[in-house]
Amino acid sequence: MNSIEVRSLSKSFGDVKAVDSVSFSVKKGEFFGLLGPNGAGKTTTINMLTGLLEKDSGEISILGKNPNEDWEYVKNRMNVSTAYFPISDVLTVRQALNVYSRIFGVKDYKRKISELLVKFELSHLQDRRIILLSSGERTRVAIAKGLLNDPEVLFLDECTVGLDPDIADKTRTLMREYQKEKGAAIFFTSHYMFEVEMLCGRIGFMINGRLLNVDTSANLKRIIRKTTVEMVVKEGRAKLLRDFLLEEDVDVLFMEDNRVAFEVASSGDRLYRLMNKIFAQGFKLSDLHIKRPTLEDLFIKLARRK
Amino acid sequence: MKFHRIAGLLLKHYYTTTNKADRLFDMFYWPAIDLFVWGFASMYISKISNYNLLSMLLGGIILWIFVWRGSQDIAVYMLEDFWSKNLYHLFSSPVRLSELLFSVILFAFFRSIVSGIAMAVLAYLMYSFNLLSIPIAVAGISVFLLSLFGWIMGLFVAGLILRYGQRIQVLGWSTVWVVQPFSCVFYPLSALPLWAKSIAVWLPTTYVFENMRAALAGSAVDYSAYFLSFLVSLVLLGVMLLFVYSSFRHSKKTGLLARGD
Repeated sequence: MNSIEVRSLSKSFGDVKAVDSVSFSVKKGEFFGLLGPNGAGKTTTINMLTGLLEKDSGEISILGKNPNEDWEYVKNRMNVSTAYFPISDVLTVRQALNVYSRIFGVKDYKRKISELLVKFELSHLQDRRIILLSSGERTRVAIAKGLLNDPEVLFLDECTVGLDPDIADKTRTLMREYQKEKGAAIFFTSHYMFEVEMLCGRIGFMINGRLLNVDTSANLKRIIRKTTVEMVVKEGRAKLLRDFLLEEDVDVLFMEDNRVAFEVASSGDRLYRLMNKIFAQGFKLSDLHIKRPTLEDLFIKLARRK
Repeated sequence: MKFHRIAGLLLKHYYTTTNKADRLFDMFYWPAIDLFVWGFASMYISKISNYNLLSMLLGGIILWIFVWRGSQDIAVYMLEDFWSKNLYHLFSSPVRLSELLFSVILFAFFRSIVSGIAMAVLAYLMYSFNLLSIPIAVAGISVFLLSLFGWIMGLFVAGLILRYGQRIQVLGWSTVWVVQPFSCVFYPLSALPLWAKSIAVWLPTTYVFENMRAALAGSAVDYSAYFLSFLVSLVLLGVMLLFVYSSFRHSKKTGLLARGD
């Protein structure tokens, strides 16, 4: 059974189509990432899934239930954390966690809160008002709140924004451990490509309200068909190398001093065969840099294509 | 409605009150200022005119607290969640609107009781005014009906805030004062000009204060007026609940609930 199932989900604000007939599913125990530039519709999608925003059309199923009909069942088994809304900033960290543990009906909530405070290194801040915390500390409080009820479905909206690298790394580890331990489905949005690639089994790309591609990171990167190669050759040989590459019908990006950069198809053995030919021509390299396509390349490509 | 969720929300209101000086301040400061100003003014008027206004004015001030707190607290505690962007977390959790409204009303009632008792004690200490000189049944019915009207006003403002957001937050403090001049808190209905009277007769509060004055003067209390006041309040309560729910749906459509602005 899929933990989240979305079919033809749409939402408009006036003339602006924020989410345009989006369909996807997230399996039980899957870490699913949603990528896209600002205004792509990621947060609007999360807001509809969490019941904060009414959809115009489409179907949502969470844990096999229609959230509108089995609202209480669904909401007790899901939670959301975001870097943008730091819970109630009037309350202290412990007070906020106290309030939400009652709201979620958490049994043995004192133990649970203490555990989360230790896990997210918040114990020394527990009696400080949330408004006085740094943005990274507030984000950790929001994530701790997100785990209070051991949700089967967890929405993490840009939740590592503002965290320092050490805490961000610990947070990612905790999220992964949580997903494995509880078999929870985690719906994750982020601007940091490396963490999406690191955490998510499948990734969806959203641009202008439309979900363009949903696949594994490896498959998505194949959309960018070119690998960039930069070679440094001996003095006076760069022009010869460029001419040779042009004869071989290779896209040369630039030639500068002893440096030549070109693009070749990522798929198949084209790069391997070309390198053999270059060496057979007697070109001696003093440096070589091969840049495989990354999610960031894909993100930029898709974002600019909009 | 689930008890544990209402308990969680009450805890949130309690923490908000104890953590924020403003919320403690408005329970005691303004009612006390009213009590000083009107108390001294009526003592002076009594001296120069031989007309005893003191008990009428102090009774009005203390009972008005129930309308005031009911109305302002519902709006302000709703605004607190807007200001701190907490609505996002509340409504992505299992909390229902009915639970939030119920908890706010309950908490506002508790605050009005504390505020009312504090002012009654202060009035006794300063002016030897004994609120218990109003018959207990009249006082009890008055507190109930005035609180009910306060909640109606509070729900009206809450509905507006849910529909239009923080840009109309000033209504949270000001709306209740619009009805005060027509509620006959400090003067009888007969003192109003005709146009004002035609508004006052529709307000449930008017009859409560008319009866309070009658009770303090030792005259007969018109219980049928209470009944009429209750019926009007019930109708208004129903209308305001519909309005709040319609505003809530509207805010979910426009995205205001998620943005909290």
